[in-house]
Amino acid sequence: MSLLAAMFVLAGLYLLMQAYLVALFQIIIYIGAILVLFIFVCMLLNVKKMSLNPMPTRINLVIGIIALLITAAMSWLSWQIFRGSNFMRQEISLQPETGIKEVAIDLFTRHLLIFELTSVLLFVAAVGAIYMSRKKREDVS
Amino acid sequence: MTLYHFIGLGIMLFAVGAAGFFIRNNTIVLLICVEIMLNAVNLIFASFARYLHGTEGQIFIFMVMTVAAAEAAIGLAIIITLYRQVKTLDMSKITLLKG
Repeated sequence: MSLLAAMFVLAGLYLLMQAYLVALFQIIIYIGAILVLFIFVCMLLNVKKMSLNPMPTRINLVIGIIALLITAAMSWLSWQIFRGSNFMRQEISLQPETGIKEVAIDLFTRHLLIFELTSVLLFVAAVGAIYMSRKKREDVS
Repeated sequence: MTLYHFIGLGIMLFAVGAAGFFIRNNTIVLLICVEIMLNAVNLIFASFARYLHGTEGQIFIFMVMTVAAAEAAIGLAIIITLYRQVKTLDMSKITLLKG
């Protein structure tokens, strides 16, 4: 539920920075497909009590803290790189915007190959998911 | 609302996803943390695309969303198959590959 709220908020943020196509993709693909898939799997597995959370083991906590430290280091490094740049000081509403038309033209002319390759990737993923989640019969060896 | 705010939010989302991936025990929650991390990366891509006046950031967001959808489908199929075998969702109890 909180992931649903977070994705809606992210779609609102994309609308705020005038990336309308990205906001639409976020709502249609992430909320409308991936989260619905999660809900289907939760209903399929029929997990009654989701309180399977004992206290995480000590090695898990250590690795979690190490992950937070690595993220802090990456953010500090990016702060050091972009600190003196000029474009960071300007307000976000004063930049010239790139609308849906420019993104669509760029997607279908310059980045056509990766667009077709993602369709192949989706096909492979769909075939793999269907193959893996079928019920095995006894005559299939 | 400068670029700093968007990048900061993206980094915090990524940290939440990364820390939650290592701390939580439930298999479905692990996949949700992966989705959180991918959303954070999408936010950073979109904010840089806005500030560098280009469209490559938004196009790469499209690719990242597609890969995230494919990976969520495969991951959930793996979880279904795993649940049929071991009948639990607790990752600390799945120790078949432990040395």
